[in-house]
Amino acid sequence: MGKLITIIKREYLERVRTKWFVIATLLGPVMFLVLTALPVYLAAGSKASAQSANITIIDATGAELGPRVVLALADTSGVKPSVQTTAPEETAAAESTASRAVLQNEREGYLVLDSRTMQGVKARYVGKNSSTVREMSRLGRAIDKAVLGLRLERAGLDATRIDSLMRVDVQLDKTQLSAKGRERTGTGNSIVGLLVAFLLYTVLIIYGQTVLRSVIEEKATRVAEVVISSVRPEILLAGKIIGIGGVAITQFGVWILGSLWVGSNVVPMFIKNRSLGMSAAAADSLTRSSDLFTSLPSMSPALVIAPLLFFVLGYVFYACLYAAVGSTVNSESEAQQASTPVVMLLVLSAVFLQPVALAPQSSIAVVMSMLPMSAPIVMPMRLSLVAVPAWQVAGSLVGMFVACLLAIWFSARIYRVGLLMYGKRPSLKELFKWLRYS
Amino acid sequence: MSDLAIDIRGVTKRYAEHVAVRELSLQVPRGAVYGLLGPNGAGKTSTIRMILDIIAPDEGTITLFGKKHTDAGVLDRVGYLPEERGLYKKMKVREVLKFLAELKGVPGADAETRIATWLERMSLKTAEKDWGESKVDELSRGMQQKVQFIGTLLHDPELVILDEPFSGLDPINAQALKDTVVELKARGKTVIFSTHIMDNAEKLCDAVCIIARGQKILDGAVSDVKAAHAGRTVAVAFDGAPSAAVDAVLRDPTLVANMDDQNRFLELELAEGAMSGTLLQRLVEAGASLQRFERVQPSLHRIFLEQVGATGVEAGMSGHG
Repeated sequence: MGKLITIIKREYLERVRTKWFVIATLLGPVMFLVLTALPVYLAAGSKASAQSANITIIDATGAELGPRVVLALADTSGVKPSVQTTAPEETAAAESTASRAVLQNEREGYLVLDSRTMQGVKARYVGKNSSTVREMSRLGRAIDKAVLGLRLERAGLDATRIDSLMRVDVQLDKTQLSAKGRERTGTGNSIVGLLVAFLLYTVLIIYGQTVLRSVIEEKATRVAEVVISSVRPEILLAGKIIGIGGVAITQFGVWILGSLWVGSNVVPMFIKNRSLGMSAAAADSLTRSSDLFTSLPSMSPALVIAPLLFFVLGYVFYACLYAAVGSTVNSESEAQQASTPVVMLLVLSAVFLQPVALAPQSSIAVVMSMLPMSAPIVMPMRLSLVAVPAWQVAGSLVGMFVACLLAIWFSARIYRVGLLMYGKRPSLKELFKWLRYS
Repeated sequence: MSDLAIDIRGVTKRYAEHVAVRELSLQVPRGAVYGLLGPNGAGKTSTIRMILDIIAPDEGTITLFGKKHTDAGVLDRVGYLPEERGLYKKMKVREVLKFLAELKGVPGADAETRIATWLERMSLKTAEKDWGESKVDELSRGMQQKVQFIGTLLHDPELVILDEPFSGLDPINAQALKDTVVELKARGKTVIFSTHIMDNAEKLCDAVCIIARGQKILDGAVSDVKAAHAGRTVAVAFDGAPSAAVDAVLRDPTLVANMDDQNRFLELELAEGAMSGTLLQRLVEAGASLQRFERVQPSLHRIFLEQVGATGVEAGMSGHG
């Protein structure tokens, strides 16, 4: 026991004391926010709407639908679509002029409105940004709104009434219902869910590979033989995994406490100060966008403990596999190739993150959250999105626990033999033999 | 209390492709300097690793100080210097040493005083420079070897096991190592080391065991081993090159079984039943002008070659003995 602690202490202190650990712990969240927030910011930025507005509208409806679409698209950027009213039979000529403008980069694209649009069936858009989901759905909504407005006017409604009737912007207030009761979630939770999953994935990879490198270092520098002449290799392996795991938990702890502190102290203060000189609407939208932050401190303890529990089990599982891989190779360059199967297991879970986030109760989501190799990433995310049945959580935990025991057994046997083997990498057949060595 | 430091009985270690050690038995008395001799691939490292419970034997028993070597605390009394040496490169020398000492059960504070003493003794801490505060990879190779050696002895082991300790040492460090071995013996410690350099073994060892292809060829006190092979070896030197007639006498298989040209003299092993007097007579008759004719004790080197022979080195065997 004393020796195990000696090893844990060395593995832990040698890492926590480095400058890299301090830098990674402090800058990690910044990098992480940049990586996750930047794409969202770019996608939602004003540039996008300016682009979707910089188009030519070819209006062959003969009913002045074009100007209505322009109004519906209107925003603060000041860029407005130009409307070109044509007779239905001249549409083709107008389209060729418009496509030239697109190709010469004067316009982003053009929209064709015709009688079919008036029937509420179809409109056509041609442009460089035709595959951007966000802009296209914005355009689609504007057309819907314009057609609807025109129909209402034809039905005899007063223009000003139409305007006030059509001013609808429902904010969906989402509440998660679970056995524990109601819980207001908002958009915060789904983002937190993805964030947690992504964080778990990143940390599992980073610390799994730390174990891998540590094993290779001991083997390559031949320290391993000195150490295992004093302690059993299983103790060295256990101490290594626990020590490095402790480093990860330390980092996790700093991040969680840090974000709680930021969420409860800095953000509200920031919002309060900023709201003073703003219009009510602007302040309201700011409050809404800060949902993510304000919902962090109100996260239930389960939301914090569950990822931690899943992280610990997932880490043990992957650390064992990485250690086994590390003991069979002679250098880090060999390890790249040898660790591919382990990395594939992790990447597989990452690939399914988005589908699971979009449909957290689908059968694929259930399966992925139950399989031991993806459970540590997928289950915490599901937990933050929906009320997962208790049997699934329990099953997932039990499955991972069993998988961990198997991984420990497997890894200890490979590690013990591999640590003293230099030269050619073992084949699968040889690995199988190693498992049976006493 | 057993007076044997190491007692190995009937130990066999098999690998998938070959048998590394075959029914090996050897006894190392307490306080002895013991040499484990053998060509590369003979099973020396495997034997040592089994003593240290790094690998487990398939058959046989290993006893250290009268206790099973896997018993709790037994291996804490052993210091080990592996053939391939290495330390954590990014750690400070003092911390590596403290880590190694703690692994052997030395409490931290105690370890620190011992480290301080050792660093000064090995001149790694001088008035100008304290290498103990440097990282291992800032040290020269020779200094790293010293640190490794300190790590082996820091917990004051009763049994010190050195695997090929002389390989890669410069003459100064080699001398320091010899001095330390002698001093350990003077303090009543047991030292066992493997080597294929017979010269070192002959000078240092009280007893030796020669193994080849995983099997023991012979063992015993160096003086006994030599005595057992004495009387059959003659050193001969001539003034000038020997004539054809003299050469013919030397090549007579009824007289000489084996001849080893040492340049300044020839080391001859007499054939079965041949007398040294007969050989001398025949040489004189052949007109040899003798400078030296002497019955000598064979060197360990000579015994080793005789016993192991060229066949003892298994072809294609690589890696550790």
